[in-house]
Amino acid sequence: MSNLTFNPVMQSPLHHFNLKTKQQHVDGSKGVWANEMPLLGYISLRGNAQNALFTKAAKKALGFALPILPCSLISTSWGCIYLLSPDEWLLVCDRELRTELQQKLEAALVGIHSQVIDNSGGFTTVFVQGKNASDVLHHCTVYDLNALTIGKVVGTTFGKTSVFLHQHNNGYKVIFRRSFADYIWRYLERSALPYDFGIANLGSS
Amino acid sequence: MSSRVIHKHSRVDFSKPLSFTFDGKIYQGFAGDTLASALLANGVKTIARSFKYGRPRGIVGAWAEEPNALVQVDVGARTTPDLKATQVELYDGLVAARTSGWPSLAFDLKSLGGRFSRFMPAGFYYKTFKWPNKFWPIYENIIRRAAGYGKSPIEPDTETYDHKHHHVDVLVVGGGANGLLSALLAARSGLKVLLVDDQSELGGYLLSMPNVTIGNLYARDWVAKIITELSNSPNVTLLERTTAFALHDMNMIQAVELVQDHLPHHERKPEQRRERMHRIRAKQVILATGAFERPLVFGNNDLPGIMTVSALTTYFNRYGVSCGKNAIILTSNDLAYQGVADLAEGGMNITLIDTRANINPLWAARFAKLGVTIYPGYGIDQALGSNAVTGAKLVKLDSIKMSASINCDIIASSGGLSPTVHLFCHDGGRPQWKDNVLAFVVSATGRANAGIYCVGAVTGVFGLQESLSATCETITEMLAALNKKVESDDLSFNTDEINCSPAHAIFRIPTTAKAFVDFQNDVAVTDVELAVRENYRSIEHIKRYTALGFGTDQGKLSNVNGFAIAAEMLGKTIPEVGTTTYRPAYTPVSFGALAGAHVGDTFEPRRYTAIQAAHNSRNASYETVGQWMRPWYFPKPVEDIHAAVNRECLAARNNVGILDASTLGKIDIRGKDVREFLNRIYTNAWNQLAPGKCRYGLMLNEAGMVMDDGVTACISDTHFLMTTTTGGAAGVMSWLEKWHQTEWPELEVYMTSVTDHWTTAALVGPKSREVLAKLCSDIDLSKDAFKFMDWRDGTVAGVPARVFRISFSGELAYEINVDASYGHYVWEELLKAGAEFGITPYGTETMHVLRAEKGFIIVGQETDGSVTPFDLDMAWAVSMKKPYSFIGKRSLARSDTARTDRKQLVGLLTDDPNFVLKEGAQLINSDNITPPVPMLGHVTSSYYSAFLGRSIAMGFVIDGIKRRSDEGNNIVYAWADGKAVKVKIASSVFFDAEGARHDV
Amino acid sequence: MFVINCPHCNEPREEEEFHYEGEAFIARPAEPETQTDAEWGDYLFMKKNPKGWHWEMWGHSAGCRKLFVVKRNTANHAIDGAWTLTEARAAYDAEMAKI
Repeated sequence: MSNLTFNPVMQSPLHHFNLKTKQQHVDGSKGVWANEMPLLGYISLRGNAQNALFTKAAKKALGFALPILPCSLISTSWGCIYLLSPDEWLLVCDRELRTELQQKLEAALVGIHSQVIDNSGGFTTVFVQGKNASDVLHHCTVYDLNALTIGKVVGTTFGKTSVFLHQHNNGYKVIFRRSFADYIWRYLERSALPYDFGIANLGSS
Repeated sequence: MSSRVIHKHSRVDFSKPLSFTFDGKIYQGFAGDTLASALLANGVKTIARSFKYGRPRGIVGAWAEEPNALVQVDVGARTTPDLKATQVELYDGLVAARTSGWPSLAFDLKSLGGRFSRFMPAGFYYKTFKWPNKFWPIYENIIRRAAGYGKSPIEPDTETYDHKHHHVDVLVVGGGANGLLSALLAARSGLKVLLVDDQSELGGYLLSMPNVTIGNLYARDWVAKIITELSNSPNVTLLERTTAFALHDMNMIQAVELVQDHLPHHERKPEQRRERMHRIRAKQVILATGAFERPLVFGNNDLPGIMTVSALTTYFNRYGVSCGKNAIILTSNDLAYQGVADLAEGGMNITLIDTRANINPLWAARFAKLGVTIYPGYGIDQALGSNAVTGAKLVKLDSIKMSASINCDIIASSGGLSPTVHLFCHDGGRPQWKDNVLAFVVSATGRANAGIYCVGAVTGVFGLQESLSATCETITEMLAALNKKVESDDLSFNTDEINCSPAHAIFRIPTTAKAFVDFQNDVAVTDVELAVRENYRSIEHIKRYTALGFGTDQGKLSNVNGFAIAAEMLGKTIPEVGTTTYRPAYTPVSFGALAGAHVGDTFEPRRYTAIQAAHNSRNASYETVGQWMRPWYFPKPVEDIHAAVNRECLAARNNVGILDASTLGKIDIRGKDVREFLNRIYTNAWNQLAPGKCRYGLMLNEAGMVMDDGVTACISDTHFLMTTTTGGAAGVMSWLEKWHQTEWPELEVYMTSVTDHWTTAALVGPKSREVLAKLCSDIDLSKDAFKFMDWRDGTVAGVPARVFRISFSGELAYEINVDASYGHYVWEELLKAGAEFGITPYGTETMHVLRAEKGFIIVGQETDGSVTPFDLDMAWAVSMKKPYSFIGKRSLARSDTARTDRKQLVGLLTDDPNFVLKEGAQLINSDNITPPVPMLGHVTSSYYSAFLGRSIAMGFVIDGIKRRSDEGNNIVYAWADGKAVKVKIASSVFFDAEGARHDV
Repeated sequence: MFVINCPHCNEPREEEEFHYEGEAFIARPAEPETQTDAEWGDYLFMKKNPKGWHWEMWGHSAGCRKLFVVKRNTANHAIDGAWTLTEARAAYDAEMAKI
């Protein structure tokens, strides 16, 4: 039984749209460009921001202090920390860094009331950019994107479901749950149609 | 006879002829025309037959106020009923048709009835088509057919619609003189401004008044100058062809934009929308919605060729259409005079009948020069003509003395202006009657605290110069409240208007001829009289009895005349009578625009598991569970659902089946108080559950009724993983958060949804262990090492996995959970490994049959919010000894809940093993169905069990648990489809009560 | 279609982001077992239904998922304030003391 060998393969939530085969170099020809940033690492973290033991331990594990202002995010050397709720954060990093980050957090938080969960299978991110990016998102969400300043992340509506949104590299990142990916992508495509929509080769963005 | 008048002010481009079809006949118009202006230019006078009497009707207005000219535009999937011809922009190839007139416009069957119209007064339908009840559908059919109104498209819509959300500092509704000025002043202060206007061109009524000057500019040049500045301001958005149709709480305005309907078909782009709904949240709203001119009511005032003065003027000045050669103008005010002068200058022969005895001398002098004949102090008793107006019989008003008849081919009347107060009133604002302008008006700054400002004619300021100055003051006040200053020094509001003399408070001219108040609903003065005579007192009741103000025009022309006439009959003043309620929508809105993107595959979120592609490739048929798309069954070629489910069930019982269980809700709960938290949330006890073990839990609402169930695993003493039903997941998550946030914040627990993170494959059947063993080498799968209701961490097909040995089928079964990114891969590996055992993917239908064979409930199928654990015979899952009174516990002791003769869940067996009871069938005590028949309960689940070779069912029966074991009293009847079928009450566990099958 | 200021996200948000959670400050009886059926029935079923100001709970479902308290006028949808659950009690008690 010990001679079993396998080659596990991962699929992102938008795998079935074959976005990679459709992607183009981003130029000025389209009003909106978007693509999935597939298979990132997502860690859910809960804890009491008022508890100095918790915030200190988290800072030690992550190398950065948790953002604690409402709707704020910070960029770190390894990824991003989003405050989703006064006692809830989402850490997003490269998939390979996830386990180490999770283990560091769990080790630092032993004995401190908190929750650390690998949720990487449960989320994905879509990056939307282009001159009509905010127009398109205003078809999708009730949130006023003019109020979405840099450094801010909001949980809001997208069609009939919800997402997290923030500005990123002259565009927007939309973070959402796996099971809604098909709906959200179709809704985005449909909304972007009048503006001319391209699947972006996002390169390093 | 109508004709084109080519003049420099016209907004029609005579160099661009267009052809269009109306009622099968081809006509010519020009770019810039509306369907109405083009029809008038072609001499088409009769365009509809009236609703009740089938009287011929023509175009009365020039925009949204039009009551008669309802047309069917376009054909096939694009056809739209009941558009107002006055609002339809002409394009090359447009096809339109009448919507009324049965069998034809020239001859309407109802017109015969019209001769007996005294027999069809208000309330006619209520009074006549009353008995017998069962004939109503027949009456309705005939009435509807005769009444007309357009046809809805029957093909699927080929075009798309969407919604857009806006957040602005200032929304200006209306692009007339005062709307444009407001937008300009707001924009200059740096505010983010959105202006919406319902027409194809900004300018409002200025487009109909080309000879007026503002500052030193002609009206159109003034408009062009402002538009240029607005267009060059980056903080301003202008939306044309966009009707603001509703104003909701906190200045949420809905507006619909007609994006492409004005273009010829070949210019419409498939990637562009047909219509777009804008949802605008505005900190300040400026209502510059203007006013509509109301006609005066006189005899036979509905003849084709009778319209409002503003419409006649608009057709002449804006569209270059002269609607007649010899016009009679009937007015009670000076507002109509500028138009009269323009028409006379343009060569129309005009007879001016003014209800006032004294004419403003400045105007009198001007009219004398233009050759206008004036009858001061006169009115029109009745219009003459049968199918179109040919003249009018005058009456001297102070003596009610009939006077001579005058020939004409057009009559236009003006009873003053009715401000468009609709939006102001949608969220509770009320208009005020102002005697000096004879109108219901709104206050410019009366709702400033709500951010609503009103400018222009809607405030009852009708003079152009006066209104522009007032607008500047209003916007100054608005900006001051925002600590901003108005910049208006370069603007001049001087016009060359002649000041108005007072208007005459007259709404109808008494006559013995039929005089209509509301054209669209055929409401005559006599109908309002009758309603009052029959003791209707409230204007809301008079409206509903007579249908005054109903329909697609919502009484834009008729309401104020109706209120005034009702006031007269009731012996009250107009403000005492008041107005009816203004409700959205201001003008009709298409379903397409309301639905927006919420159609087709974006109608509702459809949630998919990571294994979706695998299910598609195996020909899954789907059902929706909550928002999830779940495989229902997997038919092989030529299999129907029954054959497929029978095959799937037998595979799971005899060999191995596999189910995608990823949709179950999963909640990770952590903290030192997690056991106590579960004790409070669930009915059963959680103190003793050891790490590595799972337990089934029942969740009640506070009324003691079952709301969810599922298996919860103890990961460690401070860490549990809860599963919920598929449909209940989000609700349970909020439920847990609610109790934690409100009642038990002191409990140290955090919960986070991990539903989407895990893919769950349930491997079910006697061969499941052998299949799993091929993929998993690091978990000891032997019977005693990995027991029923245990879970283990390990790897499956090389992927980290958490495996639960739990069973919703009664078979040996494993639920394998992996990171969803690997879900599809692991699923395929399981199917490969199981191939030699005949592994069979199965769907929710088979899942339902398998669990029913074992008597397992499904929350939402066996339960409906009125079922306690005891009703389900599940007392074993309730621990009454826990110290904290768990949610729902106290309610289980309420007198009604604690009754022992409640409806209880039992198994049901028919005599005929092939007869499958209908779910929902009522259970009764005998097959005698002579009423009254006491209802004992109903069937909740019913299937054919291939494994047992017979039908099985579950259902609720009063006192069922006792009757189950009472041989003499265990027969009931299931009533459905007109038949009562004998049923034996049995245990709901149909086989393997001892659980031997999973214990292997 | 009103706007609610979420006291946790600290900014006004559209109503679509929220869900209604019923009347605020209905405390669960400390000892349910000692309640009569009538008392327990009051707790379960009897809700205020005022025309006018109403203290109610809302949840920021599309945002931070926190419950909080809103004082809303049921007649015209005016909103007089929104507080976290911890802050709200004091605001409510202060108002009740005035009555």
